[in-house]
Amino acid sequence: MNPRLGKLLQLSTPLWGVQWMPVRSLGIRSLNPPKPSKYDTGPGLPVLESAPEAALRRKARTTPHRTGAITIKKGMTAIYDQETGKRTPCTVLQLDRVEVVSHKTPKQHGYYAVQIGAGWKHPENMTKSLLGHFSAHGLSPKRHVCEFRVKNESGLVPVGQTIDASWFQEGQFVDARSNSKGKGFAGVMKRHGFGGQDRSHGVSLTHRSLGSSGPGQGGGSRVYPGKKMAGNMGNHQSTVQNLKVLKVDAENGIVVVTGSVSGPKGCVVRIQDAIKKPWPEIGPAATAESEIALTEEPAATAAA
Amino acid sequence: MAALPAMRQLGCLRSLMRTPKFSPMHLSSRFISTVYSKKPEPIPFPQNLPQQFRSQIPIRLQPEQAPKKMKVYPPPPSSRAVCKDPVAHVAQSQMAVLDPNGERKALFDYRRNPRSVKPGDIVRVTFKNGDPFNGVVLSIRLRGVDTSVLLRNELTRVPVEMSVKTFSPNVQSVEIIQRSQRKTRRARLYYMRFVLELLGSPPENLLQFRALY
Repeated sequence: MNPRLGKLLQLSTPLWGVQWMPVRSLGIRSLNPPKPSKYDTGPGLPVLESAPEAALRRKARTTPHRTGAITIKKGMTAIYDQETGKRTPCTVLQLDRVEVVSHKTPKQHGYYAVQIGAGWKHPENMTKSLLGHFSAHGLSPKRHVCEFRVKNESGLVPVGQTIDASWFQEGQFVDARSNSKGKGFAGVMKRHGFGGQDRSHGVSLTHRSLGSSGPGQGGGSRVYPGKKMAGNMGNHQSTVQNLKVLKVDAENGIVVVTGSVSGPKGCVVRIQDAIKKPWPEIGPAATAESEIALTEEPAATAAA
Repeated sequence: MAALPAMRQLGCLRSLMRTPKFSPMHLSSRFISTVYSKKPEPIPFPQNLPQQFRSQIPIRLQPEQAPKKMKVYPPPPSSRAVCKDPVAHVAQSQMAVLDPNGERKALFDYRRNPRSVKPGDIVRVTFKNGDPFNGVVLSIRLRGVDTSVLLRNELTRVPVEMSVKTFSPNVQSVEIIQRSQRKTRRARLYYMRFVLELLGSPPENLLQFRALY
């Protein structure tokens, strides 16, 4: 019997006096749907390791408690320590109109995350659907939007709240992720550090190419997936972990971190609490400021 | 007169004598694509429309069901507008601490200050721990807070080069021992590294060495 026809047709005993109509069921259906086992039900059963809950539990230790911020890389300079005289090269990042746009929750999306927007984009240059997304939350159109995973609902900062540079504290550690500088189509020597071939000894025209792309008949006479070859290099995401915050200037939106960050000047850098360091202690002053901002925001929107 | 052969060459000036003629047709002709046409006013939805007609109109065109006008919110004040150059801001705040009087800056700003240290001069740098270091200035790297000088000397017949960050808190003082005898023709005196090799044995005194070149 055709399994696509509904259950009504599959009844073995005909029902007299009922007008028969074939019931269509659309979509792909399994011929042998999984039957619930009587041993798989009941309380106290372990969560399967392949389940999304288990994945979240595995990630819980390294998921930051707080959201991060979108910053723009402005350039590098150096900061001297007055006592020791030690010079520390540093990268200057700037936050510009960073606001919380929306939330992601396990019920709807499967995980906790905060969607953050930064900058400003002219509404004429924006699709109507995206414009509606911002307008629905009372926000101006944002140029950069990205999301930051947080551990639980306590990390969900209210929508519309501004995240300024004082979100970060001097001395804390952050992870900075950004796109590295694009190098274009690069050969294997530059892209993967291959040795290249001899200058002489009979080598002609292949001084910088890769030698062989794999074994022959013994190895299957094919190129294995993931073989390192020439191709597009750079402009891929790169995370620099454990950068110390040296300076915070909330008025000018400046965050200064140690060392270098991937990407050219003017690129978008996402910074969040470092996952390999103890989570920063959030002082009472910072929370008080956020509460003030919270109470002011609805009043401002009502007035508008 | 125009028929005279001598005057015939002046015929080219005839066009100047003509009065210009503008045809109104020519001025007013435009391409169809550039003709301005005003956007038509939307036809108001008819009042007291019977229900049987009303239901035939698409839902999106009915006044109650029309899409609401989206409100676009103005952007909040920008920190980017407040601080246009954050790198310079951080560097200046550093300079205000490291060199409040601007003396150190003037001492090495050889492009602008004629009394500054120049390549070829012999200077003595005294560090905070008391160590002095004398040397010929091979180059001055002007980079704001990162400004540094490259000094070269011979200590126990071993050539030594030291790059000194001029604004480092470890540098207590910088004094010019001797100005270069004549004006150096280049800003980077790296050739002086090889001069000693040519000489064979370096002179005992640094001042003598400088006097040679």
